[in-house]
Amino acid sequence: MKIKLALALTFICSSVFAESNFLSSVERTKIRDYEVIWLEDQKFPSFIASIYFNDGALRDEVEGLTQVAFDQLSSGTSKENEKQIAEFFDFYGASINHSITHEYSVFTIRGLTKDIDPVVGKVCELFNDAQYPQFELNSYIARKKSNLRNLVTSHSSLADRVYRKISLQGTPFATEVDGTLNSLDKIQGKDLKTRLNEISKAKKKIFLAGPKDVKKVVEVISKKCNWSQETEITPMEVAKPSEQSVIYLVPVPGANQAQIRVGRYLNRQEAIGKDDQFEFLAGFLGGGFTSKLIQELRVKRGLTYSAGAYISMQRDYGRAGVVTFSKNESTAEVVGLIRSILAEMELPQRINENEFKHQQGHQIGGHAFNFEKVNSLLNRIISYEHQKKSLSSMLDFPEKVKKMTPTILSRSSKEVFPWRKMTIVVVGDESLKDSLARIRPVKIIDYKDFL
Amino acid sequence: MKFLLLMSALAFVSCSSWKPEKKDNLADINLDVKEVTLDNGLTALIIPDHKLPIFSLYLFYKVGGKNEVPGITGASHFLEHMMFKGAKKFGKNSIDFIIEGSGGSTNAYTTTDQTVYYENLPTSQLEQMLEIEADRMENLLLDENDFEKERAVVLEERRMRYENSPRGQLYLGLMSHLFEGTPYGRSVIGDIADLKTMTREQIYQYFKKFYAPNNVVVVIAGDVNPRKAKEYIKKYFGHIKSSPTVEEAHEALKDEDFIPKFKQDKVVKLKGESPSPIFMMGYPTYKAGHKKGYALDVLSSIIGSGKSSSLVNDYILTKKPVATSIYAAHQSLEKSGFFFLGGELVQGINLDHFKKDLKNKLKSYCSTEITERNIQKVKNNFQTDLYASLDNNAGIARFLGNRQLLFGDWKFYQEELAEYEKVTVEDVKQACEELVKTPSVFISVWNKHK
Repeated sequence: MKIKLALALTFICSSVFAESNFLSSVERTKIRDYEVIWLEDQKFPSFIASIYFNDGALRDEVEGLTQVAFDQLSSGTSKENEKQIAEFFDFYGASINHSITHEYSVFTIRGLTKDIDPVVGKVCELFNDAQYPQFELNSYIARKKSNLRNLVTSHSSLADRVYRKISLQGTPFATEVDGTLNSLDKIQGKDLKTRLNEISKAKKKIFLAGPKDVKKVVEVISKKCNWSQETEITPMEVAKPSEQSVIYLVPVPGANQAQIRVGRYLNRQEAIGKDDQFEFLAGFLGGGFTSKLIQELRVKRGLTYSAGAYISMQRDYGRAGVVTFSKNESTAEVVGLIRSILAEMELPQRINENEFKHQQGHQIGGHAFNFEKVNSLLNRIISYEHQKKSLSSMLDFPEKVKKMTPTILSRSSKEVFPWRKMTIVVVGDESLKDSLARIRPVKIIDYKDFL
Repeated sequence: MKFLLLMSALAFVSCSSWKPEKKDNLADINLDVKEVTLDNGLTALIIPDHKLPIFSLYLFYKVGGKNEVPGITGASHFLEHMMFKGAKKFGKNSIDFIIEGSGGSTNAYTTTDQTVYYENLPTSQLEQMLEIEADRMENLLLDENDFEKERAVVLEERRMRYENSPRGQLYLGLMSHLFEGTPYGRSVIGDIADLKTMTREQIYQYFKKFYAPNNVVVVIAGDVNPRKAKEYIKKYFGHIKSSPTVEEAHEALKDEDFIPKFKQDKVVKLKGESPSPIFMMGYPTYKAGHKKGYALDVLSSIIGSGKSSSLVNDYILTKKPVATSIYAAHQSLEKSGFFFLGGELVQGINLDHFKKDLKNKLKSYCSTEITERNIQKVKNNFQTDLYASLDNNAGIARFLGNRQLLFGDWKFYQEELAEYEKVTVEDVKQACEELVKTPSVFISVWNKHK
């Protein structure tokens, strides 16, 4: 069955899009046993093939198992060692990489279309015959642990990690996809083989971008990859987050600036039918230089260099947050301002009409950019498919934004960012304790407990 | 505004055509570029592509860290921030609102050699955007209150990128020691003391000298009508006077003033909050466009780019890994260049032993790693990188604008690609052997350093 998704934009709301002829074809088809979505791109004789596995880190018996199974996929087969495999892909100018989430995994191959046969064939060899030799595994784990111990060199990354863990406490999603210092030591080659075998049996979809030749990818996979499609992760219920009573302060040595994270997780029920509202809200609060946070924190007060907000959903849960930083002296002021901004957003009458209309223009006018970069568009399509959202809804967004009102925006903000449920994490100097305590009691935690 | 780009102008090769013709040869690429030159010296390039109703506009000003003098280090970058604060016709703090309100996005970056402003916008906004760019080129407000607020933002940016980042510390340290006594040795973001004391008047004079039509390249890529675009460019930029002093300012910067003078290897140890040592090792090389630079580009790719590279094989994919990351690259700047290696060591590795071993390995690579196969591998990778880099309007604009600004001719990419095609084993070996005889700077950041 071949369904031509009429992404030819006849139903795109904005007249800007109606004039265009972008994305002239996205095809959904079934080739052999695989559901295939092909994004036609004739620009260059190159391709992207992303294989989606409906299986992710949620099934890890040891934290990091799926991630390591993919990271070390090319560490050796019964015929070739890690260096030979690396040499093979590099010689063709091809690349392989992967992205693991709790809910699903994506393995991506990039290269020239003329090389599809050997490159994709080699990928199948890896999935069929990965040996996970101990020598390479030990080396990898040693490097990975050293990287984790050195995470303190990036205050921003450290803040993201600590915030993620704390804000998702009590849910299955709190586990670390890429493992911890303790869990990595427990991972053995045989566990990885078992896990890869499970992944090979997961339900799959193949997402392609490139000229017509790219469909050869599916033929090669069908012939050479010993995959079946038996299992998939079933949706799970996640309770709503509870109220928060403290600010978590993570001291790091020598910091004269603090990283600030404020937010919470959402369960699926909270987001049903509201994806567009949430996307609009995130843009209003923290998308671009005219967003509320940037205007209040940077333009009006010079308190930070950057500030942003996000609300991103997977299938069963999502995360919403505010990300910024400031010098030690103004850290507490910034946290207080974030609280004030969020409180103000809860009142529809406090939403400035000009700001609101400006944001509508921003998000409607900017919609076409979502379709410019093939790689980004393919990833967006994968995310939609995973969440079982119709691809045509990707095109509906401008029309939905037109119908947005300050009341809807305000209500969304109240739902997503209620202050009492906000997890607050500050990574910075320990002396911030006193100033932060004026906002909420402060709990000092050691970053090493999160590695 | 906005973001400071650490690395400078010509970051290796990347190029492409958006025409769907299959090309097997790197140099065999045709670009459809419309060129405009105004009497006041402004050059514009227009590259139409009607796939989507959007375009990217880039303005490359030939001014960066190298044009500053002690006392006003960071002026180019500070000015970049102030360029978003408004100009006469459109008023205070309006630029971001106009651009984002129509669905566009904007940003800028400053390097040692250039300051670049860019916008990605819906097609309908072309005329207004060119009018805005002309307005701020001619009549920037530089409001005193905004100036002080932005000073705080720049200092915040400095804290984020350098004072709280061992990697930022490392990069600043490498540049200051490698190019000690030359303009490239100063920090592009500026010294703290200068940032705290720089005046509005100093920035204004700097602006008047360098922001003029005879010191900029305008590039428009995307869904635009070239005839209309040319009309708008003439309409809004045509009357702006060229700078009478900018040529003189550029001519005063002699190539020889950018050549590092040190004759002995330097070892620099910086105390920083890194539990395991991070390092960079740099060698001075050649300015952009120098023939030997192409061989060094290939050398850096062979030894330090990709999982099969020599450094990864020797220091990461080993029984007892020495590094968690390691790489090599060659950076061509307008007046000079540098070859560098860098990475992060595994905890417990002896830094001094590593340094010695690295230098020995680099010497041995000149005879062991430079093979026909490895050179072909690099060329294959250039081709795929090339396609990936020009996937969008912005990539095309960057590619052409950089060359126009650096070489005065966007078509210079053809020569560059032909040079890469011609690179031989002997060329790379010779470049490698010369490199390892050159004095180097080895710099590390570690919390165990005193």
